[in-house]
Order: sequence, then C-alpha cells, then structure tokens
Amino acid sequence: MGRAIVITSGKGGVGKTTTTCNLGAAIAQLGASVVLIDADIGLRNLDVVMGLENRIVYHLVDAIAGRCTIQKALIKDRRLDNLWLLPASQTDDKDAVSPEDMVGLINELKATHDFVLIDCPAGIEQGFRNAIAGADEAIVVATPEVSSIRDADRVVGLLAQRDIPTRLIVNRISPHLVKKGDMLSQADVIEILALELLGGVPLDEHVVASTNKGMPAVLEGKSLAAREFTRIAKRLLGLEVEPEREVGFFGRIGRALGFSSANPA
Amino acid sequence: MWNFLRNRQSSREVAKGRLHLVLAHDRAGIEGGKLQEMRREIAAVISKYVPIDIEAVEVQIESKSRATELRVSSPLPARNG
Ligand SMILES: Nc1ncnc2c1ncn2[C@@H]1O[C@H](COP(=O)(O)OP(=O)(O)O)[C@@H](O)[C@H]1O
Ligand SMILES: [Mg+2]
Repeated sequence: MGRAIVITSGKGGVGKTTTTCNLGAAIAQLGASVVLIDADIGLRNLDVVMGLENRIVYHLVDAIAGRCTIQKALIKDRRLDNLWLLPASQTDDKDAVSPEDMVGLINELKATHDFVLIDCPAGIEQGFRNAIAGADEAIVVATPEVSSIRDADRVVGLLAQRDIPTRLIVNRISPHLVKKGDMLSQADVIEILALELLGGVPLDEHVVASTNKGMPAVLEGKSLAAREFTRIAKRLLGLEVEPEREVGFFGRIGRALGFSSANPA
Repeated sequence: MWNFLRNRQSSREVAKGRLHLVLAHDRAGIEGGKLQEMRREIAAVISKYVPIDIEAVEVQIESKSRATELRVSSPLPARNG
C-alpha cells in the first residue's frame, strides 16, 4: 500500500508544482514508483512543468466520471521507469470532483504505486478540500516571506484539524539576502510555524530554466535545488541523507539545523 | 555609534516581529483593531479600582508553538506614604 502526500501552501506561486514535479522525479530515480496528481482542476500546470502536455488524452475528471479507467488516464513519463502523471482537466469546474471521489481515486492508485503526490491548488476552498481528502501526509511549502508564512499557518491549522501529519519545505531561500538580514532564515520559518523541516530549497535559476524546458531540475543535473530535492526525497523514503557538503552559509544552516534543534542563523 | 546600529532592525527582524503578531491574531481569530478596543475597555475597568496610567496598559496575544495566550499588563503606581 502506497503513501499519499499532498503538497500544499495556501498561497499561490510559492513552489508547490515545482516541488511536486521534482520530488516525483527524485523519488522515481531512487527506485520507488510514483503517481503525480494535478489537483488544480480548471487551472492545470503540472503537465507543462513536467513537459508532458502533448501526451494528455484523458484526465482526472474523465477517470472520476468513468469515461476511462484510472490507469488509462495516467501518462507514463518516458524519461524514468516508474513515474506517472494524472493530469487535471482544464475545462471542468472544481466542483466536478468531490472529496469522496478523490479518496476513492487515491486508494486505487495507492494499491499500485509506492507514492501518490498530490499538487494542491492555491486557496483553502473546495480545491484544497479535494486535494487533502485522500492524503495520509502533507508537505507545506512556504517561502521566507510574511504573506506566505501567514497563509501556510492557516493551512497547517486546517491540516491539524484533520490529523494529517505535516512537514515543512522552505523554498526560494536566498542565502545572500538572509546573510544581509533582508530575508527570514530557514530556522526563523521553522520556529514560527513550529513544524518539522523536510528541507530548504535555495532560490536557483536552474529551476526557472528547467521549467521553461519542461524538464524536472532533478533530471538535469546537480544544481543546488536539484540536490536538495533529492535529499528531501531520500528523507521521505527513510534513506540515509549524506551530510551537506557545500561550503558557506547555506551548508552551515543545513548542518546547524540537523532537522531537530533550530538555531536562528 | 553602536546604539545607532542596534536600533536599526534588519528587515528580517521586522518581518519576524510582524509575523508573530499577525499569527497570534489569526490563531486567536481577533483583528488587531479589536484588540486595541479591548485594551481601552480593560484599562478603563482597572482604573475604576486603581489609579493607573491608562495609556500604559498593554494587551498582547502571544503565540508560541501553536499555544496562544492573552496577556494584560499594567504598571501600578507606587504607594509612597
Ligand atoms: N527554488 C526555486 N528557485 C527559483 N525559482 C523557483 C523555485 N521554486 C519555484 N520557482 C519558480 O516560482 C514560480 C512559482 O512556482 P510554482 O511551483 O508554479 O508555484 P505554485 O505551484 O505554488 O503556484 C515558477 O515560475 C517557478 O519556476
Ligand atoms: Mg501550482
């Protein structure tokens, strides 16, 4: 039986889709089978970020409405052995899907795959409720900004109400700005949200370039962001994570955190 | 010189301070402005019993690790003679 993990944030544009895409690719590289679900009905994104947009025939709403089987709606990523995408519909409304539909869909996918990663839409309404309905665990993505952290806190409260275990990824950290005192550090965000950290992903221009190309950064090489996504994937799989080797500030906070006791840097 | 530097908070420190307040209000479900009204009413009640400086009464919501607490503080006048 696989694990269903929802990637959520409250605020849009903080890196949920980027995280879903790269964690999916990294987990698949490590040998586990993964299905990515784009739960953003009506505003699909994950297909283009993954570079699979030209291969869509059926989508999530087709599968739920019974117009095709769930397995038939999955798109196999040919770059990796065990990665699939279940795209969202671009034309339907969010209320074409109910939380019960999602639970049924995810349970079926968990029977055939090790991981089901759900890319949650922004907001806390119907789309959010659908996306978290079938999740066993949650990853909250926040950037080190007041508005993102505030929205993340709201989502953390809603996930806690449903007893969904939740961990944190801090995305788009600029070590340079943190050092100058012009950005909250990873440790600050952990302290404020009181969540366990899965990883801190730097602001990395490679992410922008790989998104342009529809190629997960993780498959493109060893950029800083790609390496951190791979480390996060290993943590999710319960694998040993090699200690940070980069020198300088970013490496130091990674070590100092040790993923338990956080010293504000 | 050092004082001057210390008084200039970094934007990171400002963000942290603002977040602590905003999240405390959000978690308690009280708007910042409502809290100020409550502060004035509490100060008025205290001043019925003790002569205090109404402006010095502080009402704060503090939120640490998801436990939220309302704290009221007021300096009391010293009873000299
Ligand atoms: N670590 C990063 N470094 C640089 N750019 C990033 C990073 N993470 C996300 N981005 C960029 O930020 C934008 C929003 O990311 P996206 O994953 O679409 O957010 P969301 O799904 O939360 O709305 C995209 O243009 C993406 O390329
Ligand atoms: Mg998105």
